[in-house]
Amino acid sequence: MDKQKFEVLKDILFEDARKRNEELTNKVKAIDDIISDREKLEPKIAPILEDQVEYLEKNFPSLFGTAITASIRKQIKESQDEVVDALYPIIGKMIKKYISRELALLSERIDRQLEKAFSWEGWVTRIKAWFGGISEKEMMMKELARPVLEEIFVIQQQSGMLIGSYSKNKTLDKDMIAGMLTAIKTFVQDAFQGGNQEVETIEYENYKIVINNLRSYYVVLVITGFMNTDFRSQLDEILVDFQKEVLEKYLANKETFSKDRLTQLIKAHFDKFNNGEK
Amino acid sequence: MGKSKKVILLGNFGVGKTSLVRQYVFHKFSEDYMTTIGVRIDKKMVAVDKGEVSLIIWDIAGESTHQKIPDSYKLGAHGIIYVIDVLRPSTYRAIEDEISSLQNLLPNAPIIKVANKIDLLTEKERIEIVNNLPLNDYVLCSAKNGENVETAFHKLAGRLI
Repeated sequence: MDKQKFEVLKDILFEDARKRNEELTNKVKAIDDIISDREKLEPKIAPILEDQVEYLEKNFPSLFGTAITASIRKQIKESQDEVVDALYPIIGKMIKKYISRELALLSERIDRQLEKAFSWEGWVTRIKAWFGGISEKEMMMKELARPVLEEIFVIQQQSGMLIGSYSKNKTLDKDMIAGMLTAIKTFVQDAFQGGNQEVETIEYENYKIVINNLRSYYVVLVITGFMNTDFRSQLDEILVDFQKEVLEKYLANKETFSKDRLTQLIKAHFDKFNNGEK
Repeated sequence: MGKSKKVILLGNFGVGKTSLVRQYVFHKFSEDYMTTIGVRIDKKMVAVDKGEVSLIIWDIAGESTHQKIPDSYKLGAHGIIYVIDVLRPSTYRAIEDEISSLQNLLPNAPIIKVANKIDLLTEKERIEIVNNLPLNDYVLCSAKNGENVETAFHKLAGRLI
């Protein structure tokens, strides 16, 4: 009997609590239904996500820029090999092509040097190295890096007419090159109004175009390789010789001198220089 | 090997100098040089009665008068082709002064006057315009269809040997 009364009393005292408990259970169930069902959840959170995405888009550089830069810097510093691997497909082809070309050129030059090593010239190099107090290897490397005269043009000042030329490789029409070189030269002089100043050098990647101005003619030398002061001074000497030995002869006998004859003399003169005889 | 001769092409802007060269030779250098340094060079071997001559043609960007063109481009020229547009009197109104000033600068260079764009004229217009041109000894030609282009250069080449 006492137990029945106790139950009645409990119902009276805890009725509110039970009702709240039922309400909470129903709410949790409803939330659980929404969370578990993608179709019901999506419309609820989509507007919030859209706002967040928009905010991130607008503020990404300020929010993450510093962290990303630091991370990339750290990654490059700590994992250089991985970074190189990642970049290789993009720039690898370019570098590979360049290196292959340079290696092919170096290989050709080494082959030529090796051929020379067992020739009379090779023995001359050894003796020169011995007397000069430098190693034969060093002497060979010096030979490999030696600048080479690729092309020579002798051109009339003003008209730009080609008087004679010599080229190691096949190039565009030399008369047209002579004309364009004259046009460029005179254009620069007119544009900068430098009075009696003349264009002396044009640089183009591995090529150096050295212009030596004489009174009625100018000599254009196209050179590849590293041009040091020693080479420049040798070049000046050979140009003075060229003027005396070839150009003056030509000027004295212009009517009888053919372009071919002058070209032969130019070739002979500058071949001596390329072969290191001067 | 034939002799090389420098030939300069002069005339106002738009008279068709570059089109004449394009019709006459196959370009080896890009036309961009014209806008960069104001000149582009081409070459053509021409056989004339007295032998073969190699024309080094300097196609110079057009100006209202040749005096605006640097003398350095003109100096040393062996021959000149002066081009006018038959439809634009402004291109030949001052031709006498232009020719005389060129003769002072290059006294030994023969000048061939070329009246271009005759393809744009009817037979009747051609007679009318030609009668009113203030020129003598000129070549009527069309860079568009090639009429007389070869003749103009050939005529100059003949006078250069």
